[in-house]
Amino acid sequence: MAKVLETTGMVCPFPLVEAKEAIVDMTKGEELIINFDCTQATESIPRWAAAEGHEITEFEQIDDAKWRIIVKKGN
Amino acid sequence: MLQMIVFGIICGLLLGFVLQRGRFCVVGAYRDLILAKDGRMFLATFVVIAIQSIGVYALNDTGIIQFGNDGFPWLGTIVGGFIFGIGMVLAGGCATGTWYRAGEGMIGSWVALFGYMLGAAMTKYGVWKAAGDNLLSYRTSDTYIHETLNVSPWVLVIVVTTLVGLLVIRELRKPKLPIFKMKQKKTGLAHILFEKRWHPFVTALLIGLIAIMAWPLSAMTGRMFGLGITAPSANILTFLITGDNALIDWGTFLVLGIFLGAFIAAKGSGEFRWRLPDMKTLRNNAIGGVIMGFGASVAGGCTIGNGLVNSALFAWQGWIAIVFFLLGTWVATYFTIIRKQKKTAAISKAA
Repeated sequence: MAKVLETTGMVCPFPLVEAKEAIVDMTKGEELIINFDCTQATESIPRWAAAEGHEITEFEQIDDAKWRIIVKKGN
Repeated sequence: MLQMIVFGIICGLLLGFVLQRGRFCVVGAYRDLILAKDGRMFLATFVVIAIQSIGVYALNDTGIIQFGNDGFPWLGTIVGGFIFGIGMVLAGGCATGTWYRAGEGMIGSWVALFGYMLGAAMTKYGVWKAAGDNLLSYRTSDTYIHETLNVSPWVLVIVVTTLVGLLVIRELRKPKLPIFKMKQKKTGLAHILFEKRWHPFVTALLIGLIAIMAWPLSAMTGRMFGLGITAPSANILTFLITGDNALIDWGTFLVLGIFLGAFIAAKGSGEFRWRLPDMKTLRNNAIGGVIMGFGASVAGGCTIGNGLVNSALFAWQGWIAIVFFLLGTWVATYFTIIRKQKKTAAISKAA
């Protein structure tokens, strides 16, 4: 079951801060769906995922200044 | 007047565009040193400094531009720098960041921007002027680091550029992270301008070039300085209230250009939307803006005027300001983010 993290309306760095917090209690292979609208997070979230070894299964701009990214927990 | 408008707007448009597309955020760069233990963006700010230092000292040698020499207001820089650092974390962006995020449609940045203009105007012209002037009265006789060391500024240009160059090479040699990219929807120039992720060092290179260009363009209109955000921001608000035309200069059009350039960049890439944060963030943005305005005014500049421009001149003010911007940023980041993270981590461990 995927977990949804709604961060729309939150300014950076909070989408990433919340994502880090949310992923702690998840098990390996579980997916975290993050909705966000802070432009800088388009850079920081994929970078964090790559550095931490989480896999990104989807990353899409769903509307003007709205994005959805799905992070699959690695280690 | 026309020259002032055109040259200011051009510089601002370019800067706003590059900042938005490059996601260049100084508070983010300072904050990530402790929050994410990542110094890449911080190094990018030094790329701007190094490139600009070469350009401005070359222009200075040719006599096109001259630099001021009125000492180093050390107390104002220390106190103001620290306060500015705290303010920009609460405001959710430094002075320039606030201008360009306003152009992306962030309502919180509009609130911070108004606070910033108000705080800066109060310190330059209003009820905080006495306190500001008092802090600014403590000055050393030397303005520049090379003046104190009694060497040519080119010694510092070479030392800093070499050091930054080596760090950039080291950073570029690190194994590349497999960063996931969104599906490409645009092609050619539209892709490069309105979609592609820009490397922070490329963005920094462009900002450095714009910062060099700012000097002669501004000088031609009678204003002898490079990029500066605080005085124009204070002056816009004061102009709107007093109608005093003398407050309008090249800088006014620079900041308006930043706003417009960021708007164009955001609109073109589908990243413009009016966005309203929660109440607590709005409150912090308002408070942060006002104290950032006070801080920048007594520090003699924001993270651009001091952090990128005065530092490239090797003015003591620029380098000491950076140290205290960092300290202020870290203290505020600790209290607004890190402390809470530690608490949450402790709770989840106990559970």
